[in-house]
Amino acid sequence: MSQRYPIRIYKEPDLSRSSLVLGWSEDMSNLGRKVTCYLNRKLKGQEFAEIEPEDFFSLGGVAIEGNLAQFPESKFYTCQEHELVVFQSGSPGAEWYKFLNSVLDVAEHHCRVKELYTIGAMVSVSAHTAPRQLLAVVNSAETKEVLSQYDLTRDLDYQTPPGERPTLNAFLLWIAKERNIPGVSLWVPIPFYLAAMEDAQAQKKILSFLDERLDLEIDFSDLDREIREQNEQLARARSRFPQIDDYINRLESNLMLSEEENGELIKKIEDFLREGD
Amino acid sequence: MGIKLYQEPQIENPILIAGWPGIGNIGIIAVDTLRGILEAEEFGEIEPWDFFYPRQVLIRKGVLEYLEFPSSKFYFKRTKGEDIIFFIGEEQPTEGGRLYAEGRKAYHMANLVLDVAEKFKCRRVYTSGAAVALTHHTTKPRVWAVPNSESLIPEITGYRNTVLMSDIEGRGGHGNITGLNGLLLGVAKKRGFEAICLMGEIPVYLQGLPMSYPKASKSVLEVLNYSLKIEANLDKLDELDQKVERRIEEFYQQIPLEIRGQLDRLKQVTDVQPAEPGPITEEEEKRIMEDVEKFFKKRGGGG
Repeated sequence: MSQRYPIRIYKEPDLSRSSLVLGWSEDMSNLGRKVTCYLNRKLKGQEFAEIEPEDFFSLGGVAIEGNLAQFPESKFYTCQEHELVVFQSGSPGAEWYKFLNSVLDVAEHHCRVKELYTIGAMVSVSAHTAPRQLLAVVNSAETKEVLSQYDLTRDLDYQTPPGERPTLNAFLLWIAKERNIPGVSLWVPIPFYLAAMEDAQAQKKILSFLDERLDLEIDFSDLDREIREQNEQLARARSRFPQIDDYINRLESNLMLSEEENGELIKKIEDFLREGD
Repeated sequence: MGIKLYQEPQIENPILIAGWPGIGNIGIIAVDTLRGILEAEEFGEIEPWDFFYPRQVLIRKGVLEYLEFPSSKFYFKRTKGEDIIFFIGEEQPTEGGRLYAEGRKAYHMANLVLDVAEKFKCRRVYTSGAAVALTHHTTKPRVWAVPNSESLIPEITGYRNTVLMSDIEGRGGHGNITGLNGLLLGVAKKRGFEAICLMGEIPVYLQGLPMSYPKASKSVLEVLNYSLKIEANLDKLDELDQKVERRIEEFYQQIPLEIRGQLDRLKQVTDVQPAEPGPITEEEEKRIMEDVEKFFKKRGGGG
């Protein structure tokens, strides 16, 4: 096993009892990245540390996204005034236990983190016009109790189905539990036809909870505008394509679509949102 | 990270038998069946965190209850003959998306297993796996035995239904054992343990199917029974074999008649005189392999 210490601290943060919010780059609807970027932008997050990639990511070249060469990044930001630490990273492809412990080493030893929140999205078969829900999975009964005052679904039952593996968020929550760090995994179900696109409503749902819970006093007017614009775009797609309207109508009436219809709806919505109207 | 022993069993110069999943799960079924028959007692494990990604999470009423990892456990059994330590790994630690273990993690795990062997002064290590062979599923699988020391060859030649690599036509004593079932043999050699890998034959056309091949596990266990002078009752494996056999037959009937005709000729390769060249010529062997590969490619499955 490698004995290299993978953490680089640029500047020691001055935090006494902080909260950590973690988002992974490649998740559904780009939710983790969008939420963590939003927090950093609004709360003036300052980068202060990173985890070196060599033990955790395949470095056999670079990926190209949006015409730009990408490189795996795992960075910590601090929003000192709000006692908030933001961690933004791609999902590691190896040495997960070491990677997640490195994240918690920074959180515990450099940020005195008292609790952590992970961000995740899951597919929903409901229409985009239905309000987004927020589900929470916690790593202790005490943490669940603390969350009782918030608008959250807190009674999820789940077991990994055969052939699948737990999420990185579940792995992190478990390690946090072993280290006595209260942890909350936040999940927003996203309409399946927006899973590959961005969903401003889902972002707002998570951000609103964090805002309330961590007392961040964020002005969401820009995000509200994005939500309005997205809803208007989807409304235009419905009025222009009766087939899309029919599918979404049926979802709004809690009717299931066939697999073929699902595929068609996804493709038409994605094409419409990508090309603009 | 490392070894966690729950107790220190009083065992004398035991032998260690290790098994991991592999082709047809031949090795692990053999080792785990013997462990079950002998009612070996669990006494330790290799901690999984650094080797494996968890395989299951259980969330109840919103609270994460547990995360389950593939296990790597040690068991022991005192017998009238040999004391035995079993090591059973539910998964091979892989890196970079490979199917079988190789690299740092595999080497590290092999060394941890042998650390336990050393602690209890094991006198020999057995591993077990699969030998992909030009055989037919209706014939009794032979066992290919690969020792890590010259001095073990005379003993192996006394085992029934067992062949050395030099006995396999066209191999000239050479070959390759992938994954930990093979690596452990090499690391044992490096650390001065004598070790033998016993590989049950699996027909070439079954190697990519997601099903076990207990018939070969039984052949391996018969060799272990003989070698360790134990009399483990292997009826349980026969029951499992009958179930699997039905599924294999169903699959076999789906193979196009022309290819099946070629494969049927493999029935003539028996275990009577394993060292002799079979009734299939080299050219025919090549053609069978090509046909089988073509069939699996068309089917879109492994093979």
